Amino acid sequence: MNKNQVKKSQKNSENIAISVKNVSKTFRIPHEKVDSLRSAAVSAFKKQSYEEFKALDNVSFEVKKGEFFGIIGRNGSGKSTLLKILAGIYKPNRGKVKIDGMISPFLELGIGFNPELSGRDNVYLNATVLGMTKKQIDEKFDNIVKFSELERFIDQKLKNYSSGMQVRLAFSVSIHANRDILLMDEVLAVGDSNFQSKCLTEFNKYRDMGRTVVIVTHDISVVQRYCDRAMLLQNGEMIKIGNADDVVDTYNHKNMDDVEKILNNQTIKSIDSNGLQNRNQKIVTITDIHFLDKNGSDKSVFATGEYMKISIGYEILGECNELNFGIGLHSAFGGQIFGYNTQMDEYRVDFEKKHGEVIIEFEFMPILQGEYYVNIACWGNVEQNHYDFLPRCKTLMFFAIGNKRRYRGFFDISHKWNQL
Amino acid sequence: MFETFKKHENFRELVWMLAKTDFKLRYNNSVLGYLWALLKPLLMFLVLNFVFSSMFNPKNTGSEYYSLQLITALMMFNFFSEGTNAGMGSLLSKAQLVTKIYVPRWTIIIASTINAGMIYVMNLIVIVGFFVWKQFLPSFEAIVLFVLFSFMIYVLIVAFSFFTAPLYVRFRDLLMIWEVLLMIMLYASPIIYPLSVLPMNVQQVLLANPMAFIIHFTKESLINNHFPDAWQLIGFIVIVVTVFVLSLFAYKKFSATVAEYI
Repeated sequence: MNKNQVKKSQKNSENIAISVKNVSKTFRIPHEKVDSLRSAAVSAFKKQSYEEFKALDNVSFEVKKGEFFGIIGRNGSGKSTLLKILAGIYKPNRGKVKIDGMISPFLELGIGFNPELSGRDNVYLNATVLGMTKKQIDEKFDNIVKFSELERFIDQKLKNYSSGMQVRLAFSVSIHANRDILLMDEVLAVGDSNFQSKCLTEFNKYRDMGRTVVIVTHDISVVQRYCDRAMLLQNGEMIKIGNADDVVDTYNHKNMDDVEKILNNQTIKSIDSNGLQNRNQKIVTITDIHFLDKNGSDKSVFATGEYMKISIGYEILGECNELNFGIGLHSAFGGQIFGYNTQMDEYRVDFEKKHGEVIIEFEFMPILQGEYYVNIACWGNVEQNHYDFLPRCKTLMFFAIGNKRRYRGFFDISHKWNQL
Repeated sequence: MFETFKKHENFRELVWMLAKTDFKLRYNNSVLGYLWALLKPLLMFLVLNFVFSSMFNPKNTGSEYYSLQLITALMMFNFFSEGTNAGMGSLLSKAQLVTKIYVPRWTIIIASTINAGMIYVMNLIVIVGFFVWKQFLPSFEAIVLFVLFSFMIYVLIVAFSFFTAPLYVRFRDLLMIWEVLLMIMLYASPIIYPLSVLPMNVQQVLLANPMAFIIHFTKESLINNHFPDAWQLIGFIVIVVTVFVLSLFAYKKFSATVAEYI
C-alpha cells in the first residue's frame, strides 16, 4: 500500500459512523424455559433441548456520517435485534461493530421515567440515562420544557400527565440529548399531528447538522420520505442495500409474492362453496375464474398499471337463449371501482357449446394500492335473474411502486402539472 | 468492541441519579417521608431496649451495654441483608435500562447498593444518638474499626451483587434461597448472643462467616475494647478483596448476555 492509498483509506474510515462486519446473532430458545435452579439442575443431566434461532446471519454494512439510513423488514426479520446490537444492548456472537460517535438510542421513549416523580425530576433522570451531565441538563432544561409545551405541568407528578404529554416530554429530552448518531425504532408515530410535524422538522435539522440517523421500520413511506439509503432484512439476512427507492421496490415485490401465496389459497375455496353446491338447479354455472398477467400466470396481486386478463370459465347445464357475463370490482373499504358486463358493451356471448370461456382484458389497470374484491355473475337477458352469481369470489391486492405509493384514492389517472 | 462507550463521561452522575431516585421513591407518598429512615431504627431500638433490659436481667446477657451492641449488630446485618437483596434484584427491577438502552450494567447494580448504604448512614445517626443517650464513648480505634467494617460490608454487598444480579435474571430461585440463607446467617452470627456462650470449636466455625466476624469484633471492640489480632484482620481483608475481584470476573462473564434473558 503506498502513501496515497493509506491516506485515502484513512479518510474513508473517518467518514464512516457505523461499520458492521459479518455480524451474526443466535438466540438459544430452550424448549422448556430454564428459569429456575431446579430445572437447570435437571436439564444439566438431560440432553439439552433448545432451538437455535438465527436472528442475524452474517450481516455487513456501513453507514456514513450524516446519512439517514433505513432498515426495513417484516416482523421477525431481525431488524430490532440489529438495532439493539448497534445500541450495545446485545452482544453479537460473531462479527464486529464499530461506532464512531456518541449514540442516542430511541428504542423506547422515556427510559427510566417514573410516574411518582415530577416532570422535572423525570427530565433529569431520563437525560442522565441518555448520557447527559447535570451541567448539560441545567443548560438545556428550559429548552426541553419549552419544546415539550409542558411549562405549566413540569412540577406535577408524571402520573397526572396524559400519555401524549408523557411522550412529548420524553421525546423532547431525547432530541436534546444531542448525540452524533440517532438510532430509532419506529417512534415517529407518536403524539398529535402538530407535535409530529415538529418532530420531523427536528429530525431534518439533525440531518442538516450532519448527524447520522438510523431508523428501523416496516413503514415504507418513512423510508421513502426520509432515508438516503436503506437496507432490507429478511430472516436475518441482508437481501438488499442501497438507494432507498430501490430497496423499497424490492421490499414491495417480496411482499407481493407473500400476499400472493396467502390469497391464492382463499379464492379456490370461495368458488367451490358458491359455485358448485346446487349444480343441478342451475342453467349455467361458472366453473372457474382466472386473473392472468401478461405472462399468463394466475395471480391475485398486481402492480398498479399492470396488464390484466380475467377469464371466466362456464358450463351450460340447461336451456338458454342468451348469455351474458358481468364483473364488478369493489374496494374493500366500500365503493364500487367499476362494473362492466357483456350487455352494456353489446358483446354477444356464443352459447352453442356446453363449455366455454369468456375473457375480459385490461391493457392498463390503473388501480392504486389497496385491497379489492371481485363479484362475477352470469344471466340470460335480465340481469336480475342470475344463472350464477359469485359475490366476493376473489380478493385482489394492488401494489403501487415508486412514487405512485403516495397517491391517494383508487385510480392512477395520468396527469401533469404545469405552470404558466 | 464498543470503545466509544467509554467516552461516556457521566457514569458517576448516572449512578448517583439512580440511587437518589430509589431513595426518593422509597419514602414517596408517606406523610413522614425521609423521617422514616430515622424513625424505623429508633422504634426498633426502643422495643429491643425494653425487651432485653427490662424483661431480661442484663447480667444474663453478659453486658450492661447489651442493647447498644444489639442495635449496632442488627443495623449492620440489616445493611447487609437489604444491600444484597437490592443488589441481586437490581438488574431485573430496572429491566428497561437493560433492554432498551445501553448503560453499563454495573452502574445499575452499584446504584442499588448505594441506596442501601444511604439508609445505613441514616440508621447510624440513630445509633450515635443511643450511644450519647447511654453516655458511652467507644475508643477511637474502635470507631476506626467500625468504619472499616462498615466499608467491608459494603464491599461484600457489591461483590455479592456482581455475582448474583446477572444470574438472578435467569434463575429467580436465587431470591428464595438467599432469604433462607440470610435467616440462617442471622442466627449463626453473634447478634443476639455473644460469641462466648458457644464452645470454642463452634466459635471458630462461625467466624468463618465474614458477617459473623464483622459483627463479633464490632461488638467486642465498641464496648469491651477488645480487638481482633492483626493477622486476623489482614487475613479477613485479603479474603474480602479476593471475593470482590472474583465477583468482577463473574460479572464480566454473565452480564454480557443479561439483556437476552430478561
